[in-house]
Amino acid sequence: MTSVLTRQGLRSECVAGDGSLAIETRSLVRSFGDLNAVDGASLSIPRGSLFGLLGPDGAGKSTFIRMLATVLAPSEGDAFVFGHSISHEQNAIKPRIGYMSQAFSLYPDLTVRENLDFFAELRGVPRKEMDSRAKRFLEFSGLTEFAGRQAQHLSGGMKQKLALAVTLMHDPDLLLLDEPTTGVDPVARREFWRIIAGLHCEGITVLVATPYMDEAERCTEVAFMDNGRILLHETPGALKKRVCAQTGEERVCMEEAFAHVIAEARSGEANA
Amino acid sequence: MMSLLRRIAAVTRKEFIHIRRDPRMLASILVLPVIQLLLFSYAISFDVTDVPTVILDQDRSAESRDYLASFEHSEFFRVVDHIESDVEADRAFDTGSAKVAVIIRPGFADAIARGDKADVAVLIDGSEPNSAQLGRAYASALSSTQDRQILVGWAESRGMDVTSMGSLSPQIRTWYNPDRRSADFLIPGLMVVIIMIVTIQQTAVSLVKERDQGTFEQLTVSPIRRGELMVGKVLPWLILAFVETAVIVAVGVLLFGVPLRGSVLALALGSVLFVFSSLAIGLLISARASSVEFANMAGLLVSFLPGFMLSGFAFSLESIPPALQFISYLFPGRYMVVIARSVFLKGADVATVLPQLGALLVYALVSLTLASFAYSRRL
Repeated sequence: MTSVLTRQGLRSECVAGDGSLAIETRSLVRSFGDLNAVDGASLSIPRGSLFGLLGPDGAGKSTFIRMLATVLAPSEGDAFVFGHSISHEQNAIKPRIGYMSQAFSLYPDLTVRENLDFFAELRGVPRKEMDSRAKRFLEFSGLTEFAGRQAQHLSGGMKQKLALAVTLMHDPDLLLLDEPTTGVDPVARREFWRIIAGLHCEGITVLVATPYMDEAERCTEVAFMDNGRILLHETPGALKKRVCAQTGEERVCMEEAFAHVIAEARSGEANA
Repeated sequence: MMSLLRRIAAVTRKEFIHIRRDPRMLASILVLPVIQLLLFSYAISFDVTDVPTVILDQDRSAESRDYLASFEHSEFFRVVDHIESDVEADRAFDTGSAKVAVIIRPGFADAIARGDKADVAVLIDGSEPNSAQLGRAYASALSSTQDRQILVGWAESRGMDVTSMGSLSPQIRTWYNPDRRSADFLIPGLMVVIIMIVTIQQTAVSLVKERDQGTFEQLTVSPIRRGELMVGKVLPWLILAFVETAVIVAVGVLLFGVPLRGSVLALALGSVLFVFSSLAIGLLISARASSVEFANMAGLLVSFLPGFMLSGFAFSLESIPPALQFISYLFPGRYMVVIARSVFLKGADVATVLPQLGALLVYALVSLTLASFAYSRRL
């Protein structure tokens, strides 16, 4: 795993997807009372991608990801993770995904190592590999010296790295990360993304929801979500090129492209 | 199968770590029961002795003197005065110099000689319900034993067959706790109350806490089934509840000298079913509660109140209002209090407490089924 760190950034050398889909959602709906948090979202995410799900707060990103993680049942529509339905094949999906929710969701009174071991046991990680995996993930997330510290006494960035390490213990093929760097300082954020890039290089498909546009730049593909719907889905480069053409600007950053897309979508809705 | 056991073991181990790292929880498991034991067994004593008593003997016969002597010799009554009239009894109550007045009307000895029921009036100052109730019970106990002695003595002196006499067989009272020592009476009941409070309280918060911390979602994405999670979470409390039961029994027997007269098996069976029932109540609260605070309150309400009030621990269940009596059937405490007292004091075996064991078995099955349904809901 140390090789990940040295290889990071060399995206061209990364393992390429085979073109099959890791995730496919079909008119996915989840309502809470009268509100449709996710309102007919259809999206295809190819294997091997580092996929950024962007959108303002309350766009429905978390609900979308929680359904894919089989934590939440859809109200309508269906989605397939590696070809398995999230509605009735959760048990085929669970072993292959790692899910990191928005809030820190580990046991504050358990130590770093105890948290790792507990979830690894639940996930059925072979006993023989438990120790070596724990050491490896502690090492590459920089938590080795904090292994005996209770999770509640970790800094925000370390907590997120621990949460990520926990989701990796069972060797998942797909990572679902819900705003993993929210509330984390810039240095820790960059560090965190370095790790994600490394994982992506190893062939893990990553779906990451984020409100940060600079993080979107690092993704192989992005989708915008607003009001529970997927507005667009393309590569960051293609998106910027299109927005440039529409606005006549020479260069746009992701933030401007994002604002443009949202404004466009909302005015379109208003006209309709 | 192996992975199932492994998941359950992992949850149980984790729960033990939580318990170990939470000083407040540790205190409530280890210290609280000890305090309760000491408090109830030493400080709050229901023992009543030396109740000031006045005596009015209008018969002045050998029999009446015999009868009244039993009051004078009792530890419970302290004869403070021999009075001459009913008015004096009133005055003694008014001034508080006596709580009990024993009055024998003329004709007491004659009635006994005839083989009729001899009347004794025992007046009790009801302003202190506890003393009053005990006083009444005592007086009637004394009377009935005394009654027989007098009658037997009378029959034998006349060469009659005792068993043929109708008035000799009535009212045979057996006193399981003849000294009426509070500890003997309280500790078997207290054991039930403590177990109920600890198990319900702690399991009530267990699942809600996972929701609160967001760890529940992590559990949901792992392959663990709800049933496994439930078993894993309950196991530590099951173990602790049994340890605690054993400790309370040991303390009761060794330190307070409570007799353990009956079948230990009956007590153990009852405890197992009772602990399961209590845990199920806690689990139900946990599955339904919306917050840790709510679960805490509900746990408190469901364990403390029924534990103390509706289990027969402190108040006799016959003396509470019918509506509350009905409610008391909905909590497992009342069945277990009967089992514990019967085994400790009456020397009961499994067969004797079979109705209560049956009730607890049904209770445990129903409540555990409900709890696992409540647990297996999806978000």
